[in-house]
Amino acid sequence: SGERKDLGRALCIITGASKGYGRTLALQLSCLMKPRSVLMLVARSVDQLNKVKEDVRALNDGHKKLDVRCVQADLEKTEGVEKTVQAIKDTSSSEMDRFLLINNAASLGDVSRSALTFTDPAEVNRYLSLNVSCVLSLTARVLQAFSHRVGVPRTVVNVSSLCALKPFPSWVLYCTGKAARDMMFRVLAEEEPDVRVLSYAPGPLDTDMQLQARRFSGDVKLRQSFCSMFSEGQLLSCEESGAKLMKLLLDDEYPSGAHVDFYEL
Amino acid sequence: MSDVPGFGKALVIITGASRGFGRALALEVAARVDATGSVLILAARSDDKLHELQTHVTRVASELTVRCVTADLSRKEDVERVITVIRETQCADIDHLLLFNNAASLGDVSRYCRDFTDVDEVDSYLSFNVSSALCLTTGVLRAVPRRVGLTRVIINISSLCAIKPFASWVLYCTGKAAREMMFRVLAEEEPDLRVLSYAPGPLDTDMQLQARSSSADGCVRSACSGLHAQGQLLTCEASVSKLMKVLLEGNFTSGAHLDFYD
Repeated sequence: SGERKDLGRALCIITGASKGYGRTLALQLSCLMKPRSVLMLVARSVDQLNKVKEDVRALNDGHKKLDVRCVQADLEKTEGVEKTVQAIKDTSSSEMDRFLLINNAASLGDVSRSALTFTDPAEVNRYLSLNVSCVLSLTARVLQAFSHRVGVPRTVVNVSSLCALKPFPSWVLYCTGKAARDMMFRVLAEEEPDVRVLSYAPGPLDTDMQLQARRFSGDVKLRQSFCSMFSEGQLLSCEESGAKLMKLLLDDEYPSGAHVDFYEL
Repeated sequence: MSDVPGFGKALVIITGASRGFGRALALEVAARVDATGSVLILAARSDDKLHELQTHVTRVASELTVRCVTADLSRKEDVERVITVIRETQCADIDHLLLFNNAASLGDVSRYCRDFTDVDEVDSYLSFNVSSALCLTTGVLRAVPRRVGLTRVIINISSLCAIKPFASWVLYCTGKAAREMMFRVLAEEEPDLRVLSYAPGPLDTDMQLQARSSSADGCVRSACSGLHAQGQLLTCEASVSKLMKVLLEGNFTSGAHLDFYD
C-alpha cells in the first residue's frame, strides 16, 4: 500500500458497463490505467457499449493508447459467460501489471410483490442464475484464464448493497441474491490468499435501478423513503460513489472478503 | 393428556424427514403435539425410509395422522405436490402450523470457487437449497392462511455457514446465507409469522460424514475430523431438544439466527 496514483498496465473487466454505475466505473478506471492497458466492457447492448467506448476515448484523448473492448454478452446465459472469458483469453495478458474484475451487472427483480407471491421456482431460479450462479461461473473462469502470477495482483470486486446485510420488504429476490454474493466472495477470499476480494456497497445511486425502486417497490413505506431520497437530493451520483471505490482500489488496504459501504468511508 | 409442553393441535411439515436431523425432528415433534387432530407431513426422496419412519412414529403416537410425501424438492412438480397434500389435509382448529425447511445438500465440497465454472451446476444447487425452500414456504402459507388463534411458525434449518465462510464450501455457505436473508425478508413482511433460522451445530449425520471425508480444504477437513474423533459431534436428538425448547418458549425475534451453542 501507499500513495499509489494509478493501476499501472491493467486488464480490467466491468460487467453491466453500458449504463449507470458500470459506465461510470469504466470512465473512472480508464483514467487510472496506463498505456497498453485493456478495458473490457461487458453488457447486452452493443450500441450502448460503443457509446461508452467513445466516451472513454474522449475522456482520455491524446493522453494515452487505451485498448477498450466491447463484449456484447448476456451474462444470464452460459454462452455469454464463455464469450466474455474468450475475449479475456484473446488479450495479450502476459504483460499486465494487474488484473481487475468488477462484477457489477445485476437486476433488481420484481420488487412490486411480496415474498409470499413467489411460488414459482422457475422465476426464483432465473433470478439467482443471473445474479449469483453466473457471477460465480464468470469469476471462476476468469481467475482460471488469468491465473496467479507472482507480482501481478488480481482483484475481484462484487458490487454489493446494504441489501446484502439488511432485509427490505418486497425485495426478497434482490436481498437474497446480494446476501448470497457477499458470502460467495467471502469464501473466495478464504480460499485465495493471492486474490484481493472486495464487496463494495455503493450507496443509493441515481440510476435506472433506483428509478425502478422508487416507482415499483411494493412496500409503501419503502417506496416513500426512496421518493424522499430522490426529491431531497439525497441520492448519490455514480461519480461520487465510484470515486470512493477508486480510492479503495488504489489504497488496497481493505481486508480481503470485506463488505465496505460508501457511507463508512 | 401429556405433561410434556407442546404445540397442541398442529399441522407439521418436515422436509428431508427420512434421516438425520429431519428424522429426529419427526420423532420429537410427534411427542409434542396432541395426537388427535394433529397431522404430521413427512417429505423426502426415499419412499422406503419415509414409511419406516411413519411406522416408528405411529408406534410412539398411535392416534397421530402421519402422511408421507415422496418428493424431490429440486423438481417444481414435487414442490407443488407437497403443497397439494397440505391443501387436501383436513385440519380445522389447529393451534400451530410448523414448517421445518430441513431438506438440504452439502454440494461438492471437494472443489474450490475457482472450479465452479459450470452455471448449470450452481443453478441446480441453488434451485434445491434456496428456491424450493422459498416456494414451498410461500405455497404452505397460502394453503394455510392467517387466522386468529393460529400461530404459524417457519423454521429454516440453517448453519454457522450462513454467517461464516468456509473454504471449499462455497455452495453450502452461499445457499445458507441466501436462505437466511430470504427468511429475514419474509419475517419483515409478515409480522404475524414466527420465523426462525436455527443453526443446529455440528451433527453426527451423513452430511457430516461427507464433510469430513470430502472437504478439499485441509483445515476444514481436519476440524470436522477432530470433532468426530473427540466425540464433540452432537446427536440430532440433543439439537432437536434445544430447538423444541426455543420454539415452545416462543421468545425469539422473528427472522433471527439462533445457534445451538447460543
